[in-house]
Parts: sequence; C-alpha cells; structure tokens
Amino acid sequence: MLSSPPSARPLAVLLSPAIRRHSFVFASLVAKSYKTTYRNMALGVLWSLVNPLVLVAVLSAVWLVFFAASRQFPAFVAVALIPFNFSGQCLRACAQSVVGNASLVKKVAFPRQLLPFAAVATSLADLALQIPLVVAVLLVFPPPGRVLAAPLLWLPAIFALHLLLVAGTGLLVAGANVLYRDVRYLLESVLVVLFWASPILYDAHDRLAARPGLALAYYLNPCAGLLESYRRVLYEGAPPHPVPLAMAFGTSLLLAALGLGVFGRLERDFADLL
Amino acid sequence: MPLAIHLAAVTKVYRVPHRRPFLARALLRGVLPRPAGEAPAAALREIDLAVERGESVGIVGANGSGKTTLLSLVAGTMHPTRGTVRVEGRVGPLLELGAGFHPDLTGYENLQLNAALLGLTRAEIRARLASIVDFAEIDEHLHAPVRTYSTGMIARAGFAVLAHVDPEILLVDEVLAVGDARFRAKCERTMEGFRARGITQLLVSHNLPLLERLCGRTIWLDGGRIRADGPPAAVLARYREEQGAAGESRIRPDRCPPPLA
Repeated sequence: MLSSPPSARPLAVLLSPAIRRHSFVFASLVAKSYKTTYRNMALGVLWSLVNPLVLVAVLSAVWLVFFAASRQFPAFVAVALIPFNFSGQCLRACAQSVVGNASLVKKVAFPRQLLPFAAVATSLADLALQIPLVVAVLLVFPPPGRVLAAPLLWLPAIFALHLLLVAGTGLLVAGANVLYRDVRYLLESVLVVLFWASPILYDAHDRLAARPGLALAYYLNPCAGLLESYRRVLYEGAPPHPVPLAMAFGTSLLLAALGLGVFGRLERDFADLL
Repeated sequence: MPLAIHLAAVTKVYRVPHRRPFLARALLRGVLPRPAGEAPAAALREIDLAVERGESVGIVGANGSGKTTLLSLVAGTMHPTRGTVRVEGRVGPLLELGAGFHPDLTGYENLQLNAALLGLTRAEIRARLASIVDFAEIDEHLHAPVRTYSTGMIARAGFAVLAHVDPEILLVDEVLAVGDARFRAKCERTMEGFRARGITQLLVSHNLPLLERLCGRTIWLDGGRIRADGPPAAVLARYREEQGAAGESRIRPDRCPPPLA
C-alpha cells in the first residue's frame, strides 16, 4: 500500500487515515452528485437562482396586491423562504441519495451515511449561489431593522443548527426511502405542511404570545424556530427569540439521533433491498 | 498462513422486495389474493469457508447457486443473516461489469470516483491516473460520457481501476468474460501478477480453463452449499461431468424447433 510522505502533507497527518480516506471519498461523492445534477442542462446551476427568484417575486406580487403587504415584504419572505428551500432541496436529494447510488452501494463497502451527507453538501452549493439573491433583495427592499448589527453574529450558530436538522432528517428520509419508495412522495406533502406551518409568509411569534399552549405545539416544528431566527437576525436586526430557538435545537437533536439510529439499522439491508 | 477470509456457518436469506410488509397490502389483507411462493429463498446455507492469505480461489456453480452473494458478503456490501464473516485486509470492490459507473459522467470522472471509493488517496490517484487510463485503452473517449462506451470499454475501465488500487483481497465476478482476446490476456497477466504478489483472490467465472490457470483451489457452489472444495483439476472435472450430464439430459434433439425454411 502506498501512502504519501508525511512531510508533504503536514495537515493531513493530523487526521487518522480513515478520516482522511473518507473525507476524500466524501469529496468525490459530492463532486459526482453535483456534476450529475446539472449535466445536460442549458441553464445548469443557474436553475438554483431562477426558481427561488420566481417564487419570491410571485409571492411578493400576490401579497402586495391582494393582502396589502408592506413594501419590505419581499425581504421579509426571502430571508425565511431561501433557508426553507434549502431544507426542501436537501431532503429531496437525501431521499434519492441511497436509491440513486444503488450500483455503488451494491459493489463497494463504504460508510453509507456519506451518501445523504453528500446530498446535503451538494445542496450547499446551490444555497451559496442564492446568498447574493438574498442580499440583493435586502438591499432593494430595505427591512426595518439594522441588519448589519451585532445580532448577525448569531447567523453561524443558526446555520449550524440548520445543518444538524437537514443532516439528521436527511438520514431518516434516505434510509426510509430504500425500504419504501413512497417516502419520496410523502416528503412532498410533508414539505407543503411545513411551508405553511412555519413563519415564512407570516409572523408567528407575537401572535402566539397570548396562547402558550398553541405556541408550544407550533414550535415543536423545528423549522418554525429556525426560520424565525433567520428572520430575527437578517430582517429585524435583533437576536433570536430564545425559547423557539432552543426548541428548534432540541427537536433537531432528537431528529438527528433518530435519523442516525434508523439509518444505522436499515443500512445493513441496503444492498438486499436495492 | 494467517486467514484472510473466514466464514463460519454463514446463511444468507434475501429480504425480497416484494415480500416487504407493504402498507397497501397490509391494509388490503383479505381483499387481495395471497401471493404465491411464500418461502424466502436462502442464497447461502451454512457456509464454512477459510481462505488463507495469498490463496487464489476459483468459484464455480450454476446460475443462482450463491456465487455473487458470497462475494458480496466478503466485500462487506451485504451482511449475513446468520453466522459470521471475518475479513482481514483491504478488500477491493466486487468487480463486475461497469462497477458503479455513472452513465452521465465521463470515463475520467468515473475512474477518479471509483479509485476514491476503492481507497486511493487524492495523491495516489493523481500519480496513477495516467497509468490507469493507459491500461484501460480508452484514450480518445476519456472525456466522453460513459453511456457512449461499448461493453468492452466499460469492462476495461473497471478492470483498469482494479489493477491499480492495491487490494489485499481481490474479488472478481465474471469480468474476464468480456473484452477482446488481447485485453483478456492482459487481464490474465495482471491477475497472475496479483497472485505472485501474494494477494488473496476470489474469482467467480464460468471460464473453467481460466480458473484452472489462475487458481490454486476451487469451490463448487450448488444451491447455496459448498458441494466440493479442493484442487481445481479434481473439482472442475466433477463439475464438468455433472454440467455435461445435465446439459445432455436437457437438450433433446427431437424437441428442438425445426430449422427455418
């Protein structure tokens, strides 16, 4: 077996060979899924800009005309919608991640968890392209809060929570979809419910203040606290409400534990079922 | 010699997809007729097998006798239903035709991905890629999508990666049947080289003379059990005899369709 001389790669020797090997497998899987997603398309990666742009525009137009929304409504929607879209895209990609790589799963032994994780990482590339879109909307429709303020420091923590949520749920969805291919279709319905059950087109926190019971149920949906926190930081220029954020963290942790457990149990049978 | 592969009382029963407890079927139980053929088939039954490091073992058997299942268990892509599988050393992939190639990726991209999955590091791939490409003989097609490749080209590309990943245990599932005679000879030389270097090999093939040349031991699988295990000449002679007998009893000239006018 060959290995590169340690002196040539000072950083790499800090990692164990297993991690180093798997990080490269992971990078290769990400490259693969990224290439196969956008190959044979005229617009390619630009599609990840077109769809959210159209969605923000249509929702804003309807709300401005028919619901007398404020001038800042596009910014209000975009700061929650773009993160929500990222979740949806991650979960859709995760659902297909194991099933779509059947030929690899059947022939090569590698940690299967890498497949949904690679799906999340591929979606990250799309999100990266959408960030300028959010910034542009924030500039054109300036929100009421001071956005470039100290609360922005919360953003990395909120995003880390977001990744925990999509990776954990992604494992669950990826494993379940091998067992029952209907999961992919069920997911679409779940995403519709989550879209309306999360504060994307409306503001929930203040209206739920008088009804603690309903608030508790509402924030059991981790998307609710998560998207609200994005909006607090990016739109209102204020730190996130602590209880919804904490509840989103708790439910995300539970979902991640469930995802890891379920995926680990199902993984042994993947090659049989594909 | 230390053991490279050790299977103890291994039984593999497939979880057959159509036998999964479908929710729709569960809800409609009693309404729909019961599906026929309830018993799940065991692909392998109580297999005990020990392969020493550096051994080259040929596996023969009729279709459906459990050859590929056995390789999948050793490759670690499948897990036994009962019994234990112990493998010591870096296992190559279960090499089959077009192993894990994605049709939309180019040959180059597929070679890179496969080499990564088989455990090469980025630096190793960079150092060996030219040699892999050279071995595969797909020069002008290297940057074309694999879906445009011929069967022989895909097989060559698959074998080329394998020849460069330094596995300690090599699993080959009937891959030497494709490719032209010249490439087959090249593959054979490579495998002889592996054997000379003390790499453990499990070779599934219907090409019996090839197994006789490349293997020091042959296993005959029949209905998920080991029917015979020993030197290739002896095992293959018995296997040929039975195959011949079975073939002759099945082919009845009087039952053949008449020649077209």
